[in-house]
Amino acid sequence: MHLGATLRLLRVDAGLSLRDMARRIGVSSAYLSRVEHGVDAPPTAERLTAIARELDVPPALLMDVANRMSPYVSEYLEDVPGAGTLFLELARRRLSGTQLARVRDFLDAEFPVRGGLSDAAVPALAPLLTPERVVLQLSCGGWEDVLDVVAGRLAATLPGWDAARLAERLRQRDEESSCAVGGEVAVPHVFLQGAAPVAALVTLAKGLHVDTPDGRPLRLVVAAVDGERGRVRLTRMAHVARLAARGLSERLIEARQPGQVLAVLEELEALR
Amino acid sequence: MHTNALTLLMMQLIVIIGVSRLIGRGTRWLGQPLVIAEVVAGIVLGPSLLGWLAPDLMNALFPTDSLPVLKMLSQVGLVLFMFLIGLELDPKLLKGRGHASVAISHTSIVVPFALGAVAAALWLYKDFSDPSVPFSSFVLFMGVAMSITAFPVLARILTERGLLQSRIGAIAITCAAVDDVTAWCLLAFVVSIVRASNLAQAGLTTAFAVGYIAFMLLAVRPFLARLGARVASREGLTQNVVAGTLLLLLASAWATELIGIHALFGAFLFGAVIPKEGGLAEALSEKLEDVAVVLLLPIFFAFSGLRTQIGLLNTPEAWLACGAIILLACLGKFGGSAVAARLTGMRWREAGAIGILMNTRGLMELIVLNLGLDLGVISPTLFTMMVLMALVTTFMTTPLLQLFYPTEELARDRLEVEPPAAPGSTPYTVLMCVSHQQAGPGMASLAKALSGGEGAQLHALHLVHPERVSLRTESESRALEHETEGEGALAPLLGRAKSLGLAVRPLSFVSTEPAQDICRTAEAKHADLVLLGWHKPLFSQTVLGGTVHEVMQAASGTVAVLVDRGLSDIKRVLVPFIGSRHDRAALKLARRLMRQSGAEITVLHVTSSESNGARAQVDELFPAAEGSGVRLKVVQHASPEEAALEEARNGGHDLVVVGVGAPWGLEDRVFGLQRERIVRDAPGSLLVVHESEPVVEAAVESQAAAPAVASRS
Repeated sequence: MHLGATLRLLRVDAGLSLRDMARRIGVSSAYLSRVEHGVDAPPTAERLTAIARELDVPPALLMDVANRMSPYVSEYLEDVPGAGTLFLELARRRLSGTQLARVRDFLDAEFPVRGGLSDAAVPALAPLLTPERVVLQLSCGGWEDVLDVVAGRLAATLPGWDAARLAERLRQRDEESSCAVGGEVAVPHVFLQGAAPVAALVTLAKGLHVDTPDGRPLRLVVAAVDGERGRVRLTRMAHVARLAARGLSERLIEARQPGQVLAVLEELEALR
Repeated sequence: MHTNALTLLMMQLIVIIGVSRLIGRGTRWLGQPLVIAEVVAGIVLGPSLLGWLAPDLMNALFPTDSLPVLKMLSQVGLVLFMFLIGLELDPKLLKGRGHASVAISHTSIVVPFALGAVAAALWLYKDFSDPSVPFSSFVLFMGVAMSITAFPVLARILTERGLLQSRIGAIAITCAAVDDVTAWCLLAFVVSIVRASNLAQAGLTTAFAVGYIAFMLLAVRPFLARLGARVASREGLTQNVVAGTLLLLLASAWATELIGIHALFGAFLFGAVIPKEGGLAEALSEKLEDVAVVLLLPIFFAFSGLRTQIGLLNTPEAWLACGAIILLACLGKFGGSAVAARLTGMRWREAGAIGILMNTRGLMELIVLNLGLDLGVISPTLFTMMVLMALVTTFMTTPLLQLFYPTEELARDRLEVEPPAAPGSTPYTVLMCVSHQQAGPGMASLAKALSGGEGAQLHALHLVHPERVSLRTESESRALEHETEGEGALAPLLGRAKSLGLAVRPLSFVSTEPAQDICRTAEAKHADLVLLGWHKPLFSQTVLGGTVHEVMQAASGTVAVLVDRGLSDIKRVLVPFIGSRHDRAALKLARRLMRQSGAEITVLHVTSSESNGARAQVDELFPAAEGSGVRLKVVQHASPEEAALEEARNGGHDLVVVGVGAPWGLEDRVFGLQRERIVRDAPGSLLVVHESEPVVEAAVESQAAAPAVASRS
């Protein structure tokens, strides 16, 4: 449902107009607009791949946001049915993220990938966060207040930026196109030339009723500042949207200490 | 080989589209819009170049008897194109315009119209027109022809340069939209006058036109809105809908042609009334755009090119006249809009950019000119001159814009956050930080007294200690309880605020470092005053220790601690004063209390020796004119603290506002071992004020703020 919002967010950040993007992937802009607003069904795997190629983000990420099984996986499962049994084994052991990471390390050592799939280079969110930039159980009157709070946290690490100006920039970006990606999550972000990437995370004590793509109230805000345009930035945004689609909000809303948030994130991100 | 009309037409189309695309490659390289290429292609294929170099070839390719077919095709193309222009015109652009856009758009029509009309009346009519053309029609037509702005070209240039979101882009596109609508209305009027044989008929045509517009707006628009809503819902744009829309379009064009204004107006009007929400407009333009713009529009350009005979300008005088027309056109459009933009308060650079943008005439001018030529209002010579004028003004837009408003400037303009509004216009902002419930009501009362209740922004902040949160999570109904807790600490404050009619925005979150969070929030909210609550701490006796101390150290503005002893109504205020910057900040707050809620102020000036410095300072902050509510009391006392306490005990004051400082026994230290007697012993409520070290800029700002406050109250 909220795939469209993510596509729109990434497209706007990539600086592509609706028409440009539609032309590049060979669909009508009316169709793309309907997809972005969630009126039309999510695009097929082929179209998603085309979109991902235009945005220069790993296609698998967008598939995950759509909660769709990657065609690589489904094809492989058809070819080698035995692999399905292995998945079952993993499921029976209820392996956690870190344990799966260990399994993958073993795979990497035993069966190194030829040619190197670049999907591994998804930047993580956790390293951009510190306990100081995690605000828990915020309760406030409106979206503006949330932006002010995250701007306060982010500005502390950005030399030459004060909270008010940063909040203004975040607000501008959000007005351009909404930063709510669904799954109770919004990802306000801003591009500041040359700034080191940094993020702040806010959990809300009460759902904030703003306009979200899936109509669910906002409970989690991940704000990011990035100093470079291009691949890494977009990939990171897509990654956060994927985390949102996988229920990041439910996992974090219980956290009572910044440390817990970071621990949950590291667990979730162990296998990207 | 069969050579018939159809093969000829196909050949013509191939040549026209091919040549314009070829030249388009070149103009793209020059950074010019495609329109230029298409117009130039038309001129190249016409008598001006091809007919001059190889007249036989031109006659073979474009024989005179094939021209009517081309003309009809180009008219169909134009009807479709005008429909697209109407589709692109969002009525939102016309509504809710800022002050600047109104002024600029009006000036940018009136000035060139006047210049064009005057030039036509005094000079052009005599030299370049036929006596058979009515004087009034000619003058009006030239006025309109001079005041055209090309909305589509402008939109394309703005999009290509990423200017659409900037302030300049927004203003320019709005103005262009207004200009467009106005110019088409004027033109329709002129056409009706030209076509009518007498005044009565002209009046009738105008009446019909007005009636038709009213019919479209009142009857057709609601119908289209319903159609649009259906398309927006899942049904999508079926071929039936497209067919229906095209039928209506043709009917509209037919009706306006029948009325006696041109078919173009009907097409434009129909496009304009199609609802822009919900994707109907977008989908329609998607479907029609390529056919209209790529296939049919070049025919129109080629057709105008075929009629442009640069050979007619065969004397130096004619070229001079052509130059004069170009100059006049630029002067009217560029000058008019740039000066108007400058007068609305833009920088010259921005104003110039707007002028340049508005000067783009592009193909709209060509449409108008062709209409004029068809109607016989203008002669082929004048037509050629005006075509050149349109070409030149369009051609120079991009390079001039680059020159006047280079990309770096653009980047700056877009980066530039809204300039911090003048101090007078920002509301007085108070951040009230509550840690315990009981501090709330007093703060609300104080905020009310400080702000007068109106036009102020009041924020209430409650920071929850993480340990208290973790304790709470153990309980079962945590979500519920949490809500009551988060709001709980703020509830008394909000309750009092509500009964006082104050709008307070609550904010609350978990914080491990409250002092820093208070300062960050204050910064983000542009708080003029940070108000802290105080409750008796467990171990120390001091007000100014712990978090309060940290906030005072880190804050960039005024911080005040309220020691609340049942503060509700503030009528009498005592300000002990010696002269430090904290004392002055305290006086400022007291002055605010006096202004906003008529409190009576007593300034207690304590001197150790005979000096009258304080009088001057008090006078400076409380000008004589409003001195009625202020009493200055000078006492000589060895211990200022004692003197203040004595006055506080006897005076019956509701609130004592005192600056931080050693003389009052209020030292800003982490560990206040010394007991703050004034806090402990004062009978009423107390407000302890701390002003941060003045930065140079801050000082200037606060000076600027003072008169602004005066003017508001």
